[in-house]
Amino acid sequence: MAAKWIEQKKRYRKYKARIKELPENYRSSIEALERYLLIFGPGQGDSVVVMLEDLAGLFEESAADQLPLREIVGDDPVEFTETFLQNYPEGQWIKRERDRLITTIDRAAGDRS
Amino acid sequence: MGRQMTAMLKGTLEGIVLATLAGGSAYGYEITARLRDQGFTDTAEGTVYALLVRIEKKDLVDVEKVPSEKGPPRKVYSLNEQGQQYLDEFWTNWNFLAERIERLCDERN
Repeated sequence: MAAKWIEQKKRYRKYKARIKELPENYRSSIEALERYLLIFGPGQGDSVVVMLEDLAGLFEESAADQLPLREIVGDDPVEFTETFLQNYPEGQWIKRERDRLITTIDRAAGDRS
Repeated sequence: MGRQMTAMLKGTLEGIVLATLAGGSAYGYEITARLRDQGFTDTAEGTVYALLVRIEKKDLVDVEKVPSEKGPPRKVYSLNEQGQQYLDEFWTNWNFLAERIERLCDERN
């Protein structure tokens, strides 16, 4: 358990180092996205790290293509972020609640014993 | 692009990305550029990237990492057998939907 936690911390630090290399306006955007993702996203350490690594990947590729920030996040950054979040359902409280709702209604409807 | 258009595209963009890949392998930004050429002008690179992460997880594409001169290696996506099946299903559903909606539109006139 501790080893896993140390590994996650290491990966998180690496992610932080990666985003430090990016242009300033990318970095401030990533920090804003990270805040949103950590509030609404997965609660499990592994998924969190994978999610942030994917986020860094997006901005690194975009930096290589010299994309303006607007082209990356679009007109509605929430729209993009929600699409992105759907990829990391593991450990999301909303996912647990959705599953629970589905199971309860299935049972109530007699679809599941 | 208005809010209504964004909402309509939401459910179809995954299929649209796969359809784009049916025209040949590509990396993230190439796919976005192709979509823009097709008239999906307001598509955010981030949204396409998120969908690529998703279709990769669903194993609908094969991914190859190709080194690039600047920046990180590029992930090049190509449609695989399973992705092709998924795309066929997408077109079936799309045609069904389009036909029904078309009919509603005709009835109005």
